[in-house]
Amino acid sequence: MRNKVLIIPGIVFFLILLTFFYLLIIDRDPSEIPSNLLNKNVPEFKTTTLLKNKNFISSVEFGNEVVLVNFFATWCKPCRDEHVYIKRFSNENKLRIIGINYKDNPEKTIKWLKKLGNPYSDIPLDKNGRIAIDWGVYGIPETFVVGADKVIKYRHVGPITKKIYKKINLLIESLE
Amino acid sequence: MKLKKNFILIISILLFNFFTGISLAVEPNEVLEDSNQEARARNISKKIRCMVCQNQSIDESSSPLAKDLRLLIRNEIKEGKKDKEIYKFLSDRYGDFILLNPPIKLGTIVLWFLPIVFLFFGFFIIFNHNKKSNKI
Amino acid sequence: MLASLGNLSLWLSLIFSISQFIVSRKTNKLSFLNISVLGLLFSSLLSFFLLIYLHIISDFTVSNVFENSHTTKPLIYKISGVWGNHEGSMLLWILVLVIFNYFIFKLLNKKNSTFIFKALETQAIITFGFILFTVFTSNPFERIVPPQPNGLGFNPILQDPALAIHPPLLYIGYVGFSAVFSMSVAALTLNSNEKILWYNYMKPFVLAAWTFLTIGIALGAFWAYYELGWGGWWFWDPVENASFMPWLIGTALLHSLIIVEKRKSLKNWVLLLSILAFLLSVVGTFLVRSGILTSVHAFALDPSRGIYILIFTAFLGGYSLMLFAKNSKKYAEDKYFKFFSKEGSILLNNVIMLVVCSTVLLGTIYPLLVEAFTNNKISVGEPYYNSTVIPIVVPGILVMGIGPLLSWGSEKKLDFLKKIYPNILITGMLTLIIFTIYKSYSVIAIVGIILAFWIISNNLSLLIKKNKTVSTGMLISHLGIGLLILGMTGSSVWQEEKIINMYINNEVKIEKYNIVFEKVREVKGENYIGLQGNFLVFDHKKVFITKLKPENRYYPITNNFTTEASIHSNLARDLYIVLGEGNKKDGWTIRIYYNPLVAWIWIGSFIIFLGGIISMNINSKKLKNI
Repeated sequence: MRNKVLIIPGIVFFLILLTFFYLLIIDRDPSEIPSNLLNKNVPEFKTTTLLKNKNFISSVEFGNEVVLVNFFATWCKPCRDEHVYIKRFSNENKLRIIGINYKDNPEKTIKWLKKLGNPYSDIPLDKNGRIAIDWGVYGIPETFVVGADKVIKYRHVGPITKKIYKKINLLIESLE
Repeated sequence: MKLKKNFILIISILLFNFFTGISLAVEPNEVLEDSNQEARARNISKKIRCMVCQNQSIDESSSPLAKDLRLLIRNEIKEGKKDKEIYKFLSDRYGDFILLNPPIKLGTIVLWFLPIVFLFFGFFIIFNHNKKSNKI
Repeated sequence: MLASLGNLSLWLSLIFSISQFIVSRKTNKLSFLNISVLGLLFSSLLSFFLLIYLHIISDFTVSNVFENSHTTKPLIYKISGVWGNHEGSMLLWILVLVIFNYFIFKLLNKKNSTFIFKALETQAIITFGFILFTVFTSNPFERIVPPQPNGLGFNPILQDPALAIHPPLLYIGYVGFSAVFSMSVAALTLNSNEKILWYNYMKPFVLAAWTFLTIGIALGAFWAYYELGWGGWWFWDPVENASFMPWLIGTALLHSLIIVEKRKSLKNWVLLLSILAFLLSVVGTFLVRSGILTSVHAFALDPSRGIYILIFTAFLGGYSLMLFAKNSKKYAEDKYFKFFSKEGSILLNNVIMLVVCSTVLLGTIYPLLVEAFTNNKISVGEPYYNSTVIPIVVPGILVMGIGPLLSWGSEKKLDFLKKIYPNILITGMLTLIIFTIYKSYSVIAIVGIILAFWIISNNLSLLIKKNKTVSTGMLISHLGIGLLILGMTGSSVWQEEKIINMYINNEVKIEKYNIVFEKVREVKGENYIGLQGNFLVFDHKKVFITKLKPENRYYPITNNFTTEASIHSNLARDLYIVLGEGNKKDGWTIRIYYNPLVAWIWIGSFIIFLGGIISMNINSKKLKNI
């Protein structure tokens, strides 16, 4: 009888080891948190924009086509590193990219974009970081793919790399 | 013996989160004037995870995001929101990961239920410790 | 050249572990066994000291030295940095394994040879597994090409004396349980006609492992308290939990061994616990080094190493548990006892230790399970453990006070009450006294203080009476736990905190102290520069107590900023100051904490350790007479 009692914990032990094995072999970043906004509508927000100096109202601006949303700031070094990919999204794919400027100085941002190139159709300003919180942003740069139906399809935390660039491209192709 | 144990158990279950903690990261200009509201804010902050740190709450963390969230929580409290609403507000945006106290929902039933199962198993062993066929 | 010698020495260890395995299966080749055991010992010592030497001379052609050291690192941290990284710490792990291996070998005599040979065979398998892992996936003697002029430095908050000895002490704990595991496997394979008192051999090893695990954990907590700057000392981090779980099983094991010794009962249970303790150590190793989760403690590693450790764990676990399932029948003899007895109190201890361990294990791996099955991530943090662990542990602590006083088999309740009522009175009095000093009441404060004084008074009275039937070491360790609970309760429920903005010459009052912000000055260390705030502390009678000097440091090589709190401790309280951000114009953010009774956490932990050492001493002497 006592030996049979051990069978259940024994099986549980091995199932747990199997689960760990699975987690080790899949492609996974243990520090990345999945976005809670996936498959949900874009959060509503209203703010001013840089350069065009008009109001940006989310309910109007989203819902027309597939859009990329990129949270960035001039004081963020990885944002600078990934900027070349953001430009490529705009140039090669003719994608509309909305660049939300996070907790930044507008003058510095203008200079930064003049120097590195401006791929953004609009640059909404998030002066106090509240828009970022509504999007569940925790570490800029962060890039979101929003479908033509206003639904968030994908989020990447951290700078865009070659691998992520390809992944997003494939995703966009499937959406169009 | 058993009665005393149960009594202690009930009291202990009632008291767990009652201590005045300390924080390293709350700044003087964040502190609310109403001390009850401030105490609520600190209590909630201790249960919200700092997303960019390793295993710290936003109450302890000095990161900018932690500070933003602390201020946000205080604002929500001043606007009269209840604790539950504030937790939901944050987990809607950041997912359940941001809650250091795992919520009780379908995915976490096992997590909250199993310790009780373990405890009952323990009682079972204690009551049956003299049965020859039983192993402790 | 020396690095190649180190590598060679590591390979030699691997070969010796194989030879020990082969020779221990043939019980007549004693001299070869001797060579294997000593060969393992000396080759591991050589590898370890060679790596230390390479770090001291800053040989940056060795990748381990390059990645973790720098010429400006102080000498003592060049040395302790050897085991502060993954590859170097594996060498330390192996060294402790072969030292315990040697101690098992030393037990060998004509009467116990089958037992010891089998234990050495198992220990050889374990050693082989870890050396194989190190040689092929985590070799510290790998070279880098092209050679670099200087290294990448090392995290400055890890350059600390407490943290320097924290790993070696912990490893004696984790690895000590390997010896217990090996003996357990050996006991399970004995023939039923062999009357070997294996539990007597096991006890000193369990004591050693448990004692050093205790002090290792306590040192980690101590370091966190004074170094990390937010006054906490336990965070339920997965890696902390990984050290706590073997400790819980070890505690249960230690107590059950008493029943095995004195009543020859529960042998099966002890064998199972011995297996579980080491399995949890290995699972802990897995969590820290596999890269499966991120933790402030985890070494950043790649999953392929994790897969190796996982397979090794599965093998060790599968083999030992199947062996237990098959062979434990021969040790099944459980004697009758009433619950209100010494056995009953130990049973309660074991049940509680196991329930807490299961809960901590559940909380630690649950996020991983959720992630595997739902692609979602959740957190299981301090609030969860507070609500589950603390209520379960409270009855256990209550019983700890009276356990040593209970008789074997059964105890008459009325007689017992007569025995302990003086202690009930003393506990009540001490509790009242302390609440007149610290006037804040809460349920947790009252429960915690009563429990603490309950244990202290019960165990102290037994110590004073010099009762020969109970072990002195145990009484001292129990006393230590009472002091620990006193410290934990006091520091959490009666804290005072002040967070304010101060200009130079400002004054602030906390509890009965007046603190004056004297000045801010620049400081320079061996590998850092920083700002230091000077604070003068006066008591309410305007008597000068001390000058507190918190610092904010910058380490240029690794581009790290750290905050060093300044602490003034006495038995009654800690005064703890941290310098925040600021400047002369706007003032500085200053955080001041009054932490009552914190010192008793460290004193209590040390006394638990002391009790363990005393028991180890007594038990080792007993061993010589077997």
